[in-house]
Amino acid sequence: MMLPDPGTTLYAGAFGLIVIGIVGLVISKNLYRILLALVIAEAGANMLLVLAGFRFDAIAPIITGAFATAQSVPMVDPVPQAMVLTAIVIGVGIQALALSLIMQVYRTYGTLDMREISRKLDRDMAGSAGVSPSSSEEEPAPQSLSPLPDALLNKTGKEGADA
Amino acid sequence: MMSIEMNPQLMSLIILTVVLPLLTAFLLPVFGRVSSLVARYTGPLVLLFCLYITIVIWTEMTKPFMFAIGGFAPPLGIVFYVDQLSLLFTALVLLLTLLLWPYQKKSSIREYSLTLLLAGSACGLALSGDLFNIYVFYELASVASFGLVASAASGAAYAAAIRYVIISGFGSVLALTGIALVYTQTGTLNLAQLAQLAPEQLNNSIGIAAFVLILLGIGVKAELFPVNTWVPEVYATAKKRVSALLAGLISKLAVLVLIRLLVLVFHTEQALQIMLLLGVLGVATAELAAWRSKDMSRMLAYSSIGQLGIVFIAFSIPGEAGLYAGIAVSLHHLLVKPALFLLAERWGSSLQGLRGAAKASPVAAILFVLFALSLIGVPPSPGFWAKLLVVMGLISQDMAMYTVALTVILVTTVIEANYLFKVVITLYAKSEAGAEAENKPDVNRIHAKLDLLTSSLFGAVLIAAIFLIVPLGQYVKQTASQASDVKTYISTVFPRVRIPDSVNTERSR
Repeated sequence: MMLPDPGTTLYAGAFGLIVIGIVGLVISKNLYRILLALVIAEAGANMLLVLAGFRFDAIAPIITGAFATAQSVPMVDPVPQAMVLTAIVIGVGIQALALSLIMQVYRTYGTLDMREISRKLDRDMAGSAGVSPSSSEEEPAPQSLSPLPDALLNKTGKEGADA
Repeated sequence: MMSIEMNPQLMSLIILTVVLPLLTAFLLPVFGRVSSLVARYTGPLVLLFCLYITIVIWTEMTKPFMFAIGGFAPPLGIVFYVDQLSLLFTALVLLLTLLLWPYQKKSSIREYSLTLLLAGSACGLALSGDLFNIYVFYELASVASFGLVASAASGAAYAAAIRYVIISGFGSVLALTGIALVYTQTGTLNLAQLAQLAPEQLNNSIGIAAFVLILLGIGVKAELFPVNTWVPEVYATAKKRVSALLAGLISKLAVLVLIRLLVLVFHTEQALQIMLLLGVLGVATAELAAWRSKDMSRMLAYSSIGQLGIVFIAFSIPGEAGLYAGIAVSLHHLLVKPALFLLAERWGSSLQGLRGAAKASPVAAILFVLFALSLIGVPPSPGFWAKLLVVMGLISQDMAMYTVALTVILVTTVIEANYLFKVVITLYAKSEAGAEAENKPDVNRIHAKLDLLTSSLFGAVLIAAIFLIVPLGQYVKQTASQASDVKTYISTVFPRVRIPDSVNTERSR
């Protein structure tokens, strides 16, 4: 048969999800997409963990029915499944937290573009410290969506703001 | 072996150091509403009680012991492994959270809860003897630190926090993948059992891949080289007490987890080489960035990455000497960096603006000089001895990479001296009349009594350490040798197992 065995396919799928997630994490610019990429990568890692203890010829690790009658039937390793449940719960919690933080960022900075956010972050850090920001010298100045007073905007930021 | 039997009931109290802070963290938002007094004082009292338990166990302990949670024996159950190293870090977690507790009047119950959550999960990280359990505590500590960073409630803090969440989430995906790989190879995640199986089943390319994944995953918190971009942003925007906790404490616990993994599971030469490489890159990049930075918060953040790079370099030295040096540098940094962050609470702004600040608060300036000298490693200070241990360890190795690391450490020490002395000179410079007007008002420059008091406490400990350096050194050495003893670890967790000869007593060369 041409089909590879299901184990290989599933392992490939798990690693594939992780790779897709990491690529998405690197190339996405939108904060929400970055979070989604993270979710995909996490699904891949969870799948890998399930596969670590999975056997195709075995039954579910519950001591009833088939297991109680025939002692010799092999069962799937329950430990990774319990761990994946924990990992999924942790993952969901962190995603919810991340979403609420993304909302807060959007409220204060008015954008979800990662480049824009890191520029504003840099400007804010420099502004609160009273020094000129490190990265914005070559980049165009940010749009003046800023909730901050002009006094906090640095000199390099002002040059392009009039244009 | 040992004659004195330890009281098992007393020893089982160690679980309370994890349970009590976690339980209080979840109950506090409910009971804190009853009265503000309850909300304010429950947290410190719980931490104080846990510290008391830890100290009692410390004095009673004659040899490392194991605590099986719920009475389920390992490898099925989850174990806590208690030796000098884990007890030391548990005590330090509790002590530092007590010192860096948000005592300010305006702190909210949520902050108390999150700090307790951080303390409880950090104790769990120090004690746990199970890889997946470590992962869970690590995630708990992460969530608590995200909340604490965002509690500064400014746009910049939210942005820094979300970037921290994403890097951290990326790290946990990597760590989880690594843990899955370890499980596919060995079928267990109990560290003692892994220590038995590792020489045969993880001494291959999959083992190395798993190590790199877990290293990068846990390395996010330990400010390891490629995954540390969050550090300057977070430390600059979070409250300084939170920065102090993260830089001083949480990074060290991630380091502790890595020590355990390196000693017990991944003691291969390639693993050490990878750590050495990342450590060298971390030190070199961070110290240069610190030298370029123009404000104190970010300078301290970069210097923190640099110090942790030195820790990683130290751990990559094979054998007990590396552990000894690494633990010494970690403990020194744990003492110095929180204190410096407390001083940065008022001095966090531009370095230029600090001209003449020594006049406004002379005590703070003296403390800064003291910590700076120790951070650089000027002789009688504890920092000197810690750095000396690393340098001596590197000299004794003959591989080219270790010589490179030695050069990098020595050169970056000069850079470190340069930027820290620049700050000291600015502090003691005469303030110009013109500059005064555009600076923030002088009230801002004077430190809050609480910060100054805590910081002087750290300073006093540092000075005491100068005089007690010999017993302290011996203690750390003993701790390191106990931590590197794989046989004891296995025989403590599995008393009936005969240890196969393939398990090395020492870390392999």
